[in-house]
Amino acid sequence: MRANYQVNSGVRFQMLSDDQLEELFESVLHVLEYTGLEVHHEESLQILKDAGAWVDGKRVRLPSYMVRRALELAPRSFTIYARDGNPEHDIHIGPGRSHFGPGPTCPNFIDVETMERRPYVKSDVPLVAKVVDALPNIDFCESLGTVDDVHHDLGATYEFAGMFPNTSKPIVAWSYDKYDSEEIHKIAVAEAGGQEAFERRPNYIHYCEPLSPLVSTEDALDKLIFAANHRVPLIFTPCPIAGGTAPVTAAGIIIQAAAESWMGLTIAQTLQPGLPFFMGGVLSVMDMSNMILAYGAPELSLFMAGITELAHYVGLPLWQTGGCTDSKALDEQAAIEGSLSAYFSALTGGDLCHDVGYTESAMTGSVFQLAMMDEAIGYARRITRGIEVNEDTLAVDVIHNVGPNGHYLREQHTRNHYKTEFFYPNLCDRRNYEEWEMMGKQTMSDRVVSRVQDILATHEPSPVKPETEKVIEEVLASAEKRVK
Amino acid sequence: MSETLSKLSTAVIEGDLEVMEDLTSQALDEGKEAQEVLNEGLMPGMDHVGVEFKAGNMFVPEVLRSARAMQASMSILRPLLTESGVELAGKVLLGTVKGDLHDIGKNLVAMMCEGAGFEVKDLGKDVEPDVFVEGVRDFGPDVLGMSALLTTTMRAMEHTIKSIEEAGLRDQVKILIGGAPVTQSFADQIGADGYASNAASAADLAKKLISA
Repeated sequence: MRANYQVNSGVRFQMLSDDQLEELFESVLHVLEYTGLEVHHEESLQILKDAGAWVDGKRVRLPSYMVRRALELAPRSFTIYARDGNPEHDIHIGPGRSHFGPGPTCPNFIDVETMERRPYVKSDVPLVAKVVDALPNIDFCESLGTVDDVHHDLGATYEFAGMFPNTSKPIVAWSYDKYDSEEIHKIAVAEAGGQEAFERRPNYIHYCEPLSPLVSTEDALDKLIFAANHRVPLIFTPCPIAGGTAPVTAAGIIIQAAAESWMGLTIAQTLQPGLPFFMGGVLSVMDMSNMILAYGAPELSLFMAGITELAHYVGLPLWQTGGCTDSKALDEQAAIEGSLSAYFSALTGGDLCHDVGYTESAMTGSVFQLAMMDEAIGYARRITRGIEVNEDTLAVDVIHNVGPNGHYLREQHTRNHYKTEFFYPNLCDRRNYEEWEMMGKQTMSDRVVSRVQDILATHEPSPVKPETEKVIEEVLASAEKRVK
Repeated sequence: MSETLSKLSTAVIEGDLEVMEDLTSQALDEGKEAQEVLNEGLMPGMDHVGVEFKAGNMFVPEVLRSARAMQASMSILRPLLTESGVELAGKVLLGTVKGDLHDIGKNLVAMMCEGAGFEVKDLGKDVEPDVFVEGVRDFGPDVLGMSALLTTTMRAMEHTIKSIEEAGLRDQVKILIGGAPVTQSFADQIGADGYASNAASAADLAKKLISA
């Protein structure tokens, strides 16, 4: 019998002390109360004013009790459900759980046939969803692009209509405004079996972006209000750039991003208490030579770790960032940057880690980067799962039985554990030289490309209900009329 | 070269804003022509900054500091240069188009153009086509630069170009566009004169368009 035995069931780190977290938290409240934000949205201004905010024109200052109350109302744990009831595709948000997926809105895409960079088109959408559906360590879906070959107001509607039937993993839906938000919602609700059924088992998450520094834009709040009214789990994620649109220091960018998120949180929780809400976003540096937002910078991982710890300190889940790169090719830089940020993200236990598959600093989406990162995430997940220590795993008896000069291959203990204790790579090669040579001396990128091609040729996602297919057609037809 | 002019070059390189006005006045008091102060004091400093920036030895904040220092001197020189009929680098009018509030990229272009010696007027963000038209009419820029971050707001560039055509001003100005979703083929499609993929190349292209 053991007494007072402490168990560490996974590998995590804590970067900030409780004192530092308290200081960050109080600083966010200070910014919201004394500096305030601009809110470019009449209805939101009224909602905030009625709830106790100080409103001067567009400038809104939130007394700290309002923010504390909103934080109190938002849940830390909840589930986003697979549309087809497959429990393996459900996402359980809660302490110590990291999930991964692609990001939205890259203008370009790496063509899966030619491997060339070109504008992202409608026919890329189902293909990305299929790859997401098949990859074991990718948990949610975004499209990796902005559809260029449809009416530009309808890009997001076509995106959702293309993703939804091609993966049963939950989708994080990006949209332009409340009109396409509504179209997206119609499709999801049709599959769920009505609004009430959707509220019990939400099958997608809505994504909105405020503007840094310190602006809540009209479109972002239109979308937020739509999501809140229809009880769609919500991500409110700024994209501040340290040294450009945010302070150059880590602590400074973290509190500014949190203030931007919590303005959305306060509006959302006022409208719909208990609405699942993720704070964001993408925090990184402006590269001072090339003037880009760097997606492969070590500071991205550091800033994201800091804001994750702050989110968890106040009991909110976080929209993490990782698996992305500034490289233009599927090369060593892409592997280093993507793997390190994915691993670091897993270590933070950040709840939904997006932008897996981003290359060229978010200018180009790549399913090849996504598939390579699937392997890196599997690797990271094995590490963060940690080491289990108990009577069975200590294996003192097994060591005694085998003794000096024996071997463990035939032991029942080995058979019991080898499948779960070890990570089995899908892409990393461990063959001996002769076999590797015989298989054509394939490099990592060769194997990534064949894996993607294999998935596209063979993987069959579970279909949506026939009535949902009809709704998708109707939604697209009426959307086309909307823009005529 | 005169000691004062060489001090001006150094002050531009170091972005020493506080000494610029005094050094400029001193150079003029010593009997230098405004054009000489520009060509032999300010420009060698700015050229050095450009070279070092491209080599990765200087960074954006330093370039912007140098550009600001140069502008401080230019505010004294500009009226004198105009008076004596000297051709200046030119005027650039900038703005983020209607519906778009993203302006960090456009702000960088403004500062890079100032560093290249242009007189810059920034109309800000969410700029209506009519406001661009008025800007072209009143300010008389050689180059108009428009920026957008969103595919939806990108179209406002096309509308703005149409408005400028309708106002009969299209021939008077070169139009340059940029922003994350913008491409060369989009620029060709909407009848812009050029596309730049980043702030430094925007300033270079503005120069090229004017001298062409």
